[in-house]
Amino acid sequence: MSELLEKIAAGIIAGNLNEVPDLVQNALDEGMGPSKILENGLVVGMNEVGKRFKLGSMFVPEVLRSARTMHAGQELLRPLLAEAGADLGGKIVLGTVQGDLHDIGKNLVGMMCEGAGFEVIDLGFNLEPEKFIEAIKTHQPSIVGMSALLTTTMRAMGHTIKAMEEAGLRDKIKVMVGGAPVDAEFAKRIGADGYGHNAASGAETAKKLAGRS
Amino acid sequence: MRTNYRVNSGVRFQMLSQDQLEEMFNGVLHVLETIGLDVHHDEARDILRDAGARVEGKRVRIPQHVVKRCLATAPRSFTIYARDGNPAHDIHIGPGRAHFGPGPTPPNFIDVETLERRLFVKDDARIVAAIVDALPNIDFCESLGTISDVPPDLAASYEFATMFPNTSKPIVAWSYGWDDSADIHKIAVAEAGGQEAFEKRPNYIHYCEPLSPLVSTFEAVDKLIFAARHGVPVVFTTCALAGGTAPVTAAGVIVQTTAESFLGLVLSQTIRPGLPFFMGGVLSVMDMNAMILSYGAPELCLMMAGATEMAHYVGLPLWQTGGCTDSKSLDEQAALEGSLSCFFSALTGGDLCHDVGYTESGMTGSIFQTVMMDEAIGYSRRITRGIEVNEETLAADVIHNVGPDGHYLYEEHTMRHFKTEFWYPNLCDRHNFEEWEETGRKTMRQRVIERTREILGSHKPSAVKPETVEAISSIMKAAEDRVKNKD
Repeated sequence: MSELLEKIAAGIIAGNLNEVPDLVQNALDEGMGPSKILENGLVVGMNEVGKRFKLGSMFVPEVLRSARTMHAGQELLRPLLAEAGADLGGKIVLGTVQGDLHDIGKNLVGMMCEGAGFEVIDLGFNLEPEKFIEAIKTHQPSIVGMSALLTTTMRAMGHTIKAMEEAGLRDKIKVMVGGAPVDAEFAKRIGADGYGHNAASGAETAKKLAGRS
Repeated sequence: MRTNYRVNSGVRFQMLSQDQLEEMFNGVLHVLETIGLDVHHDEARDILRDAGARVEGKRVRIPQHVVKRCLATAPRSFTIYARDGNPAHDIHIGPGRAHFGPGPTPPNFIDVETLERRLFVKDDARIVAAIVDALPNIDFCESLGTISDVPPDLAASYEFATMFPNTSKPIVAWSYGWDDSADIHKIAVAEAGGQEAFEKRPNYIHYCEPLSPLVSTFEAVDKLIFAARHGVPVVFTTCALAGGTAPVTAAGVIVQTTAESFLGLVLSQTIRPGLPFFMGGVLSVMDMNAMILSYGAPELCLMMAGATEMAHYVGLPLWQTGGCTDSKSLDEQAALEGSLSCFFSALTGGDLCHDVGYTESGMTGSIFQTVMMDEAIGYSRRITRGIEVNEETLAADVIHNVGPDGHYLYEEHTMRHFKTEFWYPNLCDRHNFEEWEETGRKTMRQRVIERTREILGSHKPSAVKPETVEAISSIMKAAEDRVKNKD
């Protein structure tokens, strides 16, 4: 691996938001291919972050800083990869369902997904099913993620999935759900495609649904 | 500029008022002056007589002016040094500093491999020392047992000789009498680089245990005299059974045991004014059904808190007790009793809290209990550290920046403080159900056993000097000859 790519990976691990985009630009200026920079630089760093987080030697604020740095690096590569016909990670539409104002968990999933290469469109919270339908039509994501914290509001996830079916959109997307009261069994019962028990596993689920792992 | 602003830099805990402490202190002085103690040691009685005590037969009565003179020379703040010069292993005794460690001499031990209860053997002393050396919240070392597989007279000598190379945390040494005290001291002095160097930087503490009620045995006093003559900081601690060998009421227990400790204070300060001295004890109830000294009773916490306040009232450090249990197993009772006494001890700021790892009411040492309590002490220390209030911690500007509906995870402020503001467990599991299931549904007990074995397999304590290794082998050889010649 070139010294520059090593620096990029180290920059991701340290979360050097001010340095990594410049390093990525330097690599491009040197004529390095965007997918090489992504795979051998940014992704190498982020994989190490994931490992350290699992081992307990890195913590959520540090992982998010790395994810944000990753995202900044990717944004430089995204148009170039698109030109070459490559897809960085796909689009995810995220939101907290109707009746629920809690969104720290959903925000965390969004940040982790951005770090995993996805383009994340965050719709916010207290979203009626129509808001999700509208967003699917506008953004044409590959994945829709829904979150709820309350046992009273988690049912709205099922209602939203029904609404997607009625609008004829359900087959076009994968649906993932999460939130404190949600478990794998509930996800299956309401007809979701995936479930994450925390933000990190949410990003893993998204990768699986996108066929990337 | 602020005026009249008071800061609590930790959790405040005070049980007895100044009036109550003064009344109890006067009770102690009264016991010493009018009732006195029996001292089974001729030379000690002579020293005490010269110091101003009234001696009739074995009975020694000490007037209050003598006690007060000795309280004035005993230090409240001093340092016990790590043998290897590692400042992280030094123990700084002083106000608001609570330290923890195991206890001495139970006959049995829980085998770290088989988990069976059996007699304590020499290699257990190595195991305990190495694990103590690695545990972040254990500050000093004792062996948790009496070595059964060496000549009985040399149990203490072998214990120290085995522990000393395996931890650089200060050891609180126990012994039978003068000879084995001398073996121990020679080892410590060899590492320190001579008697003079030792006196500047003492690297161990000696432990002496008189009897309740009101008796100083020959051995307890002989060891104290040895320690005082050689500049070894000393603990003089009784183990009183409320309702059996001491009054049934907590205040009475504290008065009697303080008087018992003060005999050691007067003797040590007369021989060597300024010698670091720890007031003792293990104060708890004699269970009136099971007939044991309870190591898990709430009264132990209470009496030890009262004794700590009494010690600090008179300007002495205290030999605290906690992290122990009456349970026979590493179970919920052991966790409950041990954790509560650790927390209570931490609150009192009792200076050296021992018996962390005592189970079965002091009959069985368990390093697993010590490892579990390391977690409870870490937890307790986070609480006693309290809440810091200043511009940085009030975070008004951060709250402003984030505003309604934002989040704090990207804030520099969060990054700056999340590691120190929060305590992170080593043993308590905080994962969600799925993760817990994936990693084998381990219980606390299983995690404690795993961590203990992991430390044992990986931790390398710093080595003693090569000349100390030689000194230990020649000291122990001479000790073996001494015992052989005795028979």
